Amino acid sequence: MKEKFISAFAEALEMDVTLIGEADNFRDYENYSSLSELAVLAMLDSEFGIEIEMREFNKYKTIGDLLQLIRDRSAK
Amino acid sequence: MGLLSFENVGIAGLAAAVPSNVINNYEYDLFFKKEDIRDIVDKIGVIERRFAGENTCSSDLCFAAAEKLISDMSINREEIDLLLFISQTPDYRMPATSILLQERLGLSTSTIAFDINLGCSAFLYGLSVAYAIMLSGNHRKALILDGETRSKVYSPKDRKTAFLFGDAGVAALIEKGEKYGKSWFSLNSDGSRESLIKIPAGGYRKMSSCETLKEKVIDEYGNIRSEEQGYMNGADVFNFVIREVPRDFNRLIEVSGITVSSIDYFIFHQANSYINGYLAKKLKLDDNKVPSTIAKFGNTSSVSIPLTIVSELKDKITASKKILLSGFGVGLTWGTAIINLADCKLSDLVEV
Repeated sequence: MKEKFISAFAEALEMDVTLIGEADNFRDYENYSSLSELAVLAMLDSEFGIEIEMREFNKYKTIGDLLQLIRDRSAK
Repeated sequence: MGLLSFENVGIAGLAAAVPSNVINNYEYDLFFKKEDIRDIVDKIGVIERRFAGENTCSSDLCFAAAEKLISDMSINREEIDLLLFISQTPDYRMPATSILLQERLGLSTSTIAFDINLGCSAFLYGLSVAYAIMLSGNHRKALILDGETRSKVYSPKDRKTAFLFGDAGVAALIEKGEKYGKSWFSLNSDGSRESLIKIPAGGYRKMSSCETLKEKVIDEYGNIRSEEQGYMNGADVFNFVIREVPRDFNRLIEVSGITVSSIDYFIFHQANSYINGYLAKKLKLDDNKVPSTIAKFGNTSSVSIPLTIVSELKDKITASKKILLSGFGVGLTWGTAIINLADCKLSDLVEV
């Protein structure tokens, strides 16, 4: 799951997968913008079936936070 | 549930008018650098759009479309018993623009005329209202005029909205007839999301003042707008749309018993190419059945669905075609409709 997510995230941001670490604040990536954010939201929806409000999404800071989100949602 | 169905009423003809002033988005560098613009424009897919001049209103675009349709179809003006004007950019706060258009178009004073104030889903709402009125009473013809000058609503200094919107107006003639068969509508609203797309001031809750007209820097990106200009939270709208629009689409498919494969064309509100591309992919639709005008005309709010029909389906509506319409936006409101276009007259696009 972790590898699937990191590779999907890299694809959404058009980044190299090796540049992505669990502790990274993903909003600090150079490719992160209000437009590429849509690609991340779309990826969460299509790859992981996660529908999320921005109010909640904005609480997550790191790649690890998003991984935890996916784990929590899939456990439900 | 907001489900409606009608029989033997439909769109007999459609005409559309756009301003002749073409804005090339890559060159629209009044306030932003060209390299930044390129990234935005590539993503949203709006290459060109049309801007109405200072003295051109939504109603003027609709008037031109209506005159074209009346002339092309030799419509007897006396037979128009209902006139709906759909817009959120009317001429005045009062009177309603539909009343001004009744006089301008030379329609009878016995015409039922009123405005519908809704955004991107409004053509569906307007169609359902016109269908319902046509079927209750002895009305001969209805005219739906749907126009927007969204270029005047948003700040050119706010990159979230500066490159998206364009202006246009359409006229649709509604008639009764067995050839139209059955149609279905699902209409929805969610006022808890009212702030996602909004002009906060200039109405009666927060009236126009020197303060509301002041341009302000509104976010960490340096975007600038006044409270009387439109605001859009694109990410939350996107989240909402990718969830609710497919849900409503599938619900209407189920209710109607129509199979997705028997639908000839899917006409979505032209929001931006990113959202539209995502919806088509999620719903697994054949690209050839999903016409688009986002590159030519941008997002024209409620006008985008009928404008896309006029612009892209001309010569393709020979006999009866089954069309699915999907509108979503400010409110938030959204809806899905399945209608038949049978020998529908599609006029050539008019430039004003």
